Amino acid sequence: MRMRWAVAALALIALLCVPGGAGAKAGHGGPPAEQWIDVALEGSNGYAIHISVNPRRHLILQVSKEGFSAEYMTRDLLAEADRIKARLLGLGTISVRFHPHGPVRHPLLPGCGRKKRPAVQPGVVRGTIRFVGEREYTQVKVGEAEAAIEEPTGWLCRYGVRFEPKPRQRDWVSKFSTVGVGTYLLARKYRPGVFEDGQVIFLAETGEAFDRDSDRPPLTIFRHISVPAPVSTFRDAHPEHLILAPPPPFSGTGTLARTPESVFTWEGDLSVQFPGLDPIPLAGPGFGPEYCLRGSGCVRQDVDG
Amino acid sequence: MGSGRLSLVVGLAVAALLLAATGSGEAELRHAGKFEVQKANTVGVLFLGRERGYRIALSMPNERIAIFYAIRAEKAEGSDGLSFSYSAYVARNLGNLGHGVVRARFGSMGRVSLRFRPGGLVRKRDPQPGCEGAAETTEYGRFAGHLSFHGEGNYFHVSSAGGRAALDHEPRLRCEKGQAEEPSPRSLRRYVTPVPLSADDESIALLYAFTHSHGRYIGITAAHPEGSPPGAVVQLAVVEPRRGMVIGHGVYLEGPPGTLLTSQPGAHPATATLAPPAPFYGKASYSEESRAWTGNLGISSAGLNLPLIGPDFRVHLCVVNPLRDRDGCEFFTREPPPDERPASLGRALR
Repeated sequence: MRMRWAVAALALIALLCVPGGAGAKAGHGGPPAEQWIDVALEGSNGYAIHISVNPRRHLILQVSKEGFSAEYMTRDLLAEADRIKARLLGLGTISVRFHPHGPVRHPLLPGCGRKKRPAVQPGVVRGTIRFVGEREYTQVKVGEAEAAIEEPTGWLCRYGVRFEPKPRQRDWVSKFSTVGVGTYLLARKYRPGVFEDGQVIFLAETGEAFDRDSDRPPLTIFRHISVPAPVSTFRDAHPEHLILAPPPPFSGTGTLARTPESVFTWEGDLSVQFPGLDPIPLAGPGFGPEYCLRGSGCVRQDVDG
Repeated sequence: MGSGRLSLVVGLAVAALLLAATGSGEAELRHAGKFEVQKANTVGVLFLGRERGYRIALSMPNERIAIFYAIRAEKAEGSDGLSFSYSAYVARNLGNLGHGVVRARFGSMGRVSLRFRPGGLVRKRDPQPGCEGAAETTEYGRFAGHLSFHGEGNYFHVSSAGGRAALDHEPRLRCEKGQAEEPSPRSLRRYVTPVPLSADDESIALLYAFTHSHGRYIGITAAHPEGSPPGAVVQLAVVEPRRGMVIGHGVYLEGPPGTLLTSQPGAHPATATLAPPAPFYGKASYSEESRAWTGNLGISSAGLNLPLIGPDFRVHLCVVNPLRDRDGCEFFTREPPPDERPASLGRALR
């Protein structure tokens, strides 16, 4: 949980950097504190890669494909709004300049209203973008890519970021979560018909932080996977006993059980495999489980340490 | 559980003693509309230092009562938890505490004949919120005179009244209804009888075994709070009258894994096994089917050496699922008689 919160805090810091004012026009002549740069790329093996730099010069390189996403967060080494220069700790480098192309646009975004439309200056970035994911699960190397400089009017009204709708919170009927060192697992079972492709959503997250030293900027990697699954993967007919058996990229099963000591244990060979990494265990003595039934409450088990 | 927590609990125990010493004493509430009267009272305390790991004190919670306390806290065997034991010996004060005099006999265990000598330091304190009247006055000093007392088997022995002491004079107060202190009990037994745990909404497994014969009450509880690591909190209370006095013994400890094992919620017959660490020895088993409390469980501690098993014991076992029974374990549909209450540490000292 600590790692997850650390990652979430980093993401929040990045998001909070969006300004409230909308006076300046988008483009490379505007004040740097007002603008984001977004670069869209296609990685190998079907992965989409999106680079964004916020007004505080935090850079996020996001790799996504279906329910998987990975965010590589570091600092842009330059202060100019129309340039990016960053190193990703052995995974790549980015050194580009933005070139506007065409008129500023004001796209209408879902849920943002006409007055909340951002100002978007389309264009291209030229220079070097090179990224190789862990064990080459995806890679990209280009000298030019489509890009935009955007001045959003609110942190939810960003053209460069897609907020995907999720099942409504109030529709879950039972849920399980567990936290290990740097990993988090959440499984929610919903009422039938809330979403397509099943009745359960499994979500796993992991985070790694590499501190800054004299030779390199800090790098934080946040990985996330979310998959729908049939109800048979979340077996909780008896509140003293729960079995989770999620589909790939998860493997194995995890079992929550009450012992004669009245301790709730979370054990099994459940793991998740993120692209480019070895399988990460999601069950065992180091994981503190929590199981909740809507309307009844939660059972929580502390773990040592 | 580190030494910090140990210190905290020792501190709490001392605070409990002080609470007992500065309690309302003989306050008697006279309800008159929206107001009630808290009667004047005098309370006293004499700290007698430490002997064989026990902190010893003589407390006078009101003008009629004198109580010897022996309290010991240490790390529980086999776990990082805490073990805490106390003994309380209650007798009538035949002296006039208002004039600083304490005279009490504790059967063959000892007697006190003391007079308070003020040391000059006096502190005044305003009445508690919701009450009005003169200020409460605390005199600090020492007691002079004769004091001798020994615990059972001589596990501690004091023969000197030397030690810090205080006498607290509480004036008559006029209080808003509900703001006056509760009146002190008249029965000696009530000073060592634990208060009830009739509604325990944290434990998801709770075992309570007790017996009451020939005036002696023995009660032992073992509880596993929801979400806590393996192990159980075990509490023992023993209350027995002697000629002219009442003795109470108590033990609280945070037992290691294996202390309390039970069947699953809803399983029939429900079963439980209790095997707490020292100062307990052996283990006991309970089956809902036979209602039998069997085994070789006992306690061997300073001042307390007795089996905790036998046909006279009655047993309650509660194992709940917190998602189905949000109120946790509850043994009693109404408040049980004082002698059938499970042990509870802090309040037992008041």
